[in-house]
Amino acid sequence: MKVTGPSELSFAEGASSRSNRLIELRGVTKRFRGRLAVDDLTLEVPAGEIYGLLGHNGAGKSTAIGMMLGQVWPTRGEVRVCGHDVMLRRTLALRQVGAIFESPAFYDYLSGWRNLEILSHYTAPTSRQRLQEVIDWVGLTGRERSAVRTYSHGMRARLALAQALLPEPTLLILDEPGDGLDPEGIHEMRETILRLHRELGLTILLSSHLLNEVEQLCTQIGVIRKGRKVFEGPTAHALQSRNWLRITVPDFAAADRFLRQEGLIDESRDGRCVAMSEGISSEAIIRRLVEGGFRVSEVARDEQTLEDFYLSVMRQ
Amino acid sequence: MFYLQLRNELWKLFGKKRTYIGFFMFLFAQNVIALVFRFTQASRPMERMLEMSGHLAEPFISVLTIATIMLVPAAAFLLPLYVALVGGDLVAKEAEDGTLRMILSRPVSRFRLLVVKWVAGCIFSLLLVLALGVFGLAFSRLYFPWGGMFVWLPENGIFGVFEAQTGLVRYVAGHLMLVTEAASIMCLALLFSCFNVKPAAATILALSLIFVSFIMEHIPYFKDYQNWFFTYHLHLWQFMFADRIPWWRIGQSLSLLIGFNATFLAIGMASFHMRDIKS
Repeated sequence: MKVTGPSELSFAEGASSRSNRLIELRGVTKRFRGRLAVDDLTLEVPAGEIYGLLGHNGAGKSTAIGMMLGQVWPTRGEVRVCGHDVMLRRTLALRQVGAIFESPAFYDYLSGWRNLEILSHYTAPTSRQRLQEVIDWVGLTGRERSAVRTYSHGMRARLALAQALLPEPTLLILDEPGDGLDPEGIHEMRETILRLHRELGLTILLSSHLLNEVEQLCTQIGVIRKGRKVFEGPTAHALQSRNWLRITVPDFAAADRFLRQEGLIDESRDGRCVAMSEGISSEAIIRRLVEGGFRVSEVARDEQTLEDFYLSVMRQ
Repeated sequence: MFYLQLRNELWKLFGKKRTYIGFFMFLFAQNVIALVFRFTQASRPMERMLEMSGHLAEPFISVLTIATIMLVPAAAFLLPLYVALVGGDLVAKEAEDGTLRMILSRPVSRFRLLVVKWVAGCIFSLLLVLALGVFGLAFSRLYFPWGGMFVWLPENGIFGVFEAQTGLVRYVAGHLMLVTEAASIMCLALLFSCFNVKPAAATILALSLIFVSFIMEHIPYFKDYQNWFFTYHLHLWQFMFADRIPWWRIGQSLSLLIGFNATFLAIGMASFHMRDIKS
């Protein structure tokens, strides 16, 4: 996997602004009638980053986002957004936050313009000029006076983006924004997120099942399993957390046993890849295999995808 | 900000077709009732009653009398239905549609949101009562002449005969008081709407409570305890048609209704505040 240009840029920027965290969850637990949805979750989203929140369905991602937005009350722990405690100072905390949910809901019988007016006035009075600016930015010009029920799925997604951008946010929370979009829509969403990050300098929290999108967009990721955080760190670190080597030998199982006995690898997968132990080079592995009498016909570094990493974390 | 949010709430409310059901039904029902009075002998018992009490019947078979007769069943059955429908929708429908989650991703407090919704519900109640009053006069005027007002409400022992001018004042005052009934039922439905229930359930719960209160109020053995029943105080508008208006009774019911409304709003607020809003 190769981290794209904008992500590298923002990662570098993010490193210099670690002290400025826009989202902080500290030891947050949430129970719904005895069922544990989020368990002692601690999570940090530094300013300037695109943070990917990953996890299976029901892992607790949406509950965590609900707590960030003050929609779900934590059973225990502290949630801070933009430096303010969400439970105590919700209005201050959310003043510069925009949010988009999967299948965004609107007043379908009203126009897009009227919907934007309604939603933006819950933050602050919004001028017609600002409304028009945002409508132009998301590409809804000409359709803003039509009833939302006539909008396509893509147009609804744009309207959702417009309502999130109206309060001039510094933080954008996206909960499964690609859900239900076709490949073209997903591509457009990815480009838009990068544009928002690049042009408006927004910090973005992205909860998604689309691992490929997260891999291309996010500079930081957090993985949640059964309400608990199992990984948090830079995406680049997640992808390099194992040095995987793809080797082609007539008897992979024998080679695997041999290399493990020699202490050169930690694990193997797919009947063709081995994870080199720390400090071990690929040259050392090839040499020992040849010395051990294995006929090696191909050796290549196997770059781990986010999907590989995610699945390995989930299997632990 | 409050004005803008209230305006938005009214846009949402009056943008929905179901909000107008009440207005259309009043239009229909009052027109039909006026027609039946005009083209049948339905007004004969009324004429006999007036003559037996020493009045000339003809001047009182008028716009104001017919409009007031139409008012009684509409206020008892139709009005509670429509205000409960709207009150039950105010929060629960938004929660069901997912728009509540969109709103609550904004820096608006739940307290403020609920107050805005309550005010919008009160404005709806006012407009619905206004429509009831205006339609009543308009349709009666199509078929009956202007004249004095005769009102007979045996349940509260009201037998009123008024000149046209005084009758009109009483008619307007009765409607002003009727707003308290409409707003109180709307507030009760809003209370249930704040719970984690479907909008229809909130409406049905509110109406059920109204009916239960009404039934208990009308059990003869419970007459000594009438003061405890919510519906007993909702009828205060009828006293505006009494020969001598019992202001003490109106004051008593008004203050109790204020108490009921404050309690409904407080319980609804607490429930709404504690709720987790999830997709």
